[in-house]
Amino acid sequence: MGRAGIAILLCSAIAGLISGFVAVFLLPMLPISSGIVLTLAGSFTLAAIVAGCIAPVLLSTGRDVIRLENQIEEAIDSGSQVTLHCGPWLRPLADAITQVQSGWTEKVSKLNTRLRELEIRHRLIEAERDHAETILNSLHDAVLVTDSFNEISLTNHRAAELLGFDTSTAARRPIDEVVHDPRIRELIKEIRSSGVVTRQKHVEHAMESSGEMGGRTSTFDVTLAALPDGQSGVGGVVTILRDITKEREISQLKSDFVSQASHELRTPLSSINAYVEMLIDSEAQDEASRQEFYQIIKSESDRVSRMIDNMLNISRIEAGIVSVDRTDCDFVKICNEVIETMQPQAAAKDIMLSMKSGPLVYTADADRDMMHQVVMNLVSNAIKYTPDGGRVTISIENDDMTRSVMVTVADTGLGIPPDALPRLFEKFYRIENYKRVAKGTGLGLNLVKHIVETVHRGTITVTSELGMGSKFIFTIPYEDPNSR
Amino acid sequence: MARKKILVVDDEAHITHVVSLKLGNAGYDIITANDGEEGLELALHELPDLVITDLQMPYMSGVELCARLREDPKTAQIPVIMLTARGYALAQEDLDRTNIKSVMSKPFSPRQVLEMANDLIGHDEQCIIEEAA
Repeated sequence: MGRAGIAILLCSAIAGLISGFVAVFLLPMLPISSGIVLTLAGSFTLAAIVAGCIAPVLLSTGRDVIRLENQIEEAIDSGSQVTLHCGPWLRPLADAITQVQSGWTEKVSKLNTRLRELEIRHRLIEAERDHAETILNSLHDAVLVTDSFNEISLTNHRAAELLGFDTSTAARRPIDEVVHDPRIRELIKEIRSSGVVTRQKHVEHAMESSGEMGGRTSTFDVTLAALPDGQSGVGGVVTILRDITKEREISQLKSDFVSQASHELRTPLSSINAYVEMLIDSEAQDEASRQEFYQIIKSESDRVSRMIDNMLNISRIEAGIVSVDRTDCDFVKICNEVIETMQPQAAAKDIMLSMKSGPLVYTADADRDMMHQVVMNLVSNAIKYTPDGGRVTISIENDDMTRSVMVTVADTGLGIPPDALPRLFEKFYRIENYKRVAKGTGLGLNLVKHIVETVHRGTITVTSELGMGSKFIFTIPYEDPNSR
Repeated sequence: MARKKILVVDDEAHITHVVSLKLGNAGYDIITANDGEEGLELALHELPDLVITDLQMPYMSGVELCARLREDPKTAQIPVIMLTARGYALAQEDLDRTNIKSVMSKPFSPRQVLEMANDLIGHDEQCIIEEAA
């Protein structure tokens, strides 16, 4: 209810009453001339009549004001454009309000549209940020972005794990508080202080990993790139740490392999070269010496050739490009063939070479030639390192627990020193003191291990006691585990 | 005049054989050993004029053998030719504590080994005197 309307009504009523009261009761009582009384009474009466006439008009106008006020309130509440209804007295005011309201409604509508646009843009930016964070977190490399205040603006889980901080609390904190590795902080500061947005900078940095990887020193390729600040200066810095420990190790292994291989090849090549030169210089004094030289050259060439074959086979298996021809391999048959081939060598040393197996069928899904090579290699080693008069025994069993054929090559030979056992299957490893006992490439057992474990998913183990002999046991699954 | 004596030490039998033949044909007396320990024992006993040894051998390496020879006054002055399958030169400190006069890398030439032996123990002179006589 409008307070203005009530006030006008009350004023009109009170003015009429006071005027009538004064004209009828108070004036005749005053000691003044009747002319003046009449004049005053006339005036008051006129005033009362005027007040009586004006009161309804004021009353109606008051109602209009109240109605108008209610309509405006409704219009504000609904937020829409409405037509204001009122009497003629207030029409100009209502028209002016309608005009103002129409202007405001348009502005509000525009602001609402703008607000919706901003909300959509905000959601898009948030989605893009989530997207970028998901991408960053899926990276194996550690990413750290700092802003122009040297505070962390963006990072990922890998960086947190590596540098030992919490991603949820690291944002907007100075790197000096978050990153504990002084070298990384220094590198970031260096690139910022250079003041120019240059090309990427790469630095190799060794660092002890935090978290799960704690305690292990890894090598990182640190890439630093300055972000422009929009005024041809450096704003932030992007730092990416890529773990290259594995690459370095592989590269070291490769270089060691090349170095060892060339070293091992030099020895037979040296013999070949020396004997050829002796023949050229006619140092062989008779046909027998010449024949001896030819034999040495031939056997040393074979040794080089075997070494190269083994190296290539190992490389092929390691690279996963070896072709495997799986068939149902009969291990009794394979072992018999090996025994037949090796019998003359065993007999020359008076070594008893035999095979033990039950009446069962011992077959597995494997590459026959490779299996032959494995058994051959183990039996050949056993004969080489077993003194005259010893025994070499091959036994074949079915191990139903592991669903594998199990082959054991046991000898009564020199045995393997305990400190040599862990290194026995390494490339080029040869027991120093046994080099004189027999020649070898140092690659045979490594190849055997690769054929059994890498190619056939089997196992190979060795047990040995010095002076008592050695026992090599390998297993090959009945079925190719990869085909299941 | 007594023929000069050379000790050849290598765990590769073919190498000791070929070096022995080459030097033997040139008029030297040759003794051989299969490893460092055996080489040291023979050297101390036979007191050769020259030692030709491999670097990598079981029981005792070539450098260790040379160092032990240098320590003993009886063998300290014996010159040594080192044969090595390693692709790098010996460390200076190893050269300083031994009497290694020449390092030849494998594959080596028996001809060059003979030349070096002649240079070190002057066999050429000896042969000429003997031939003249």
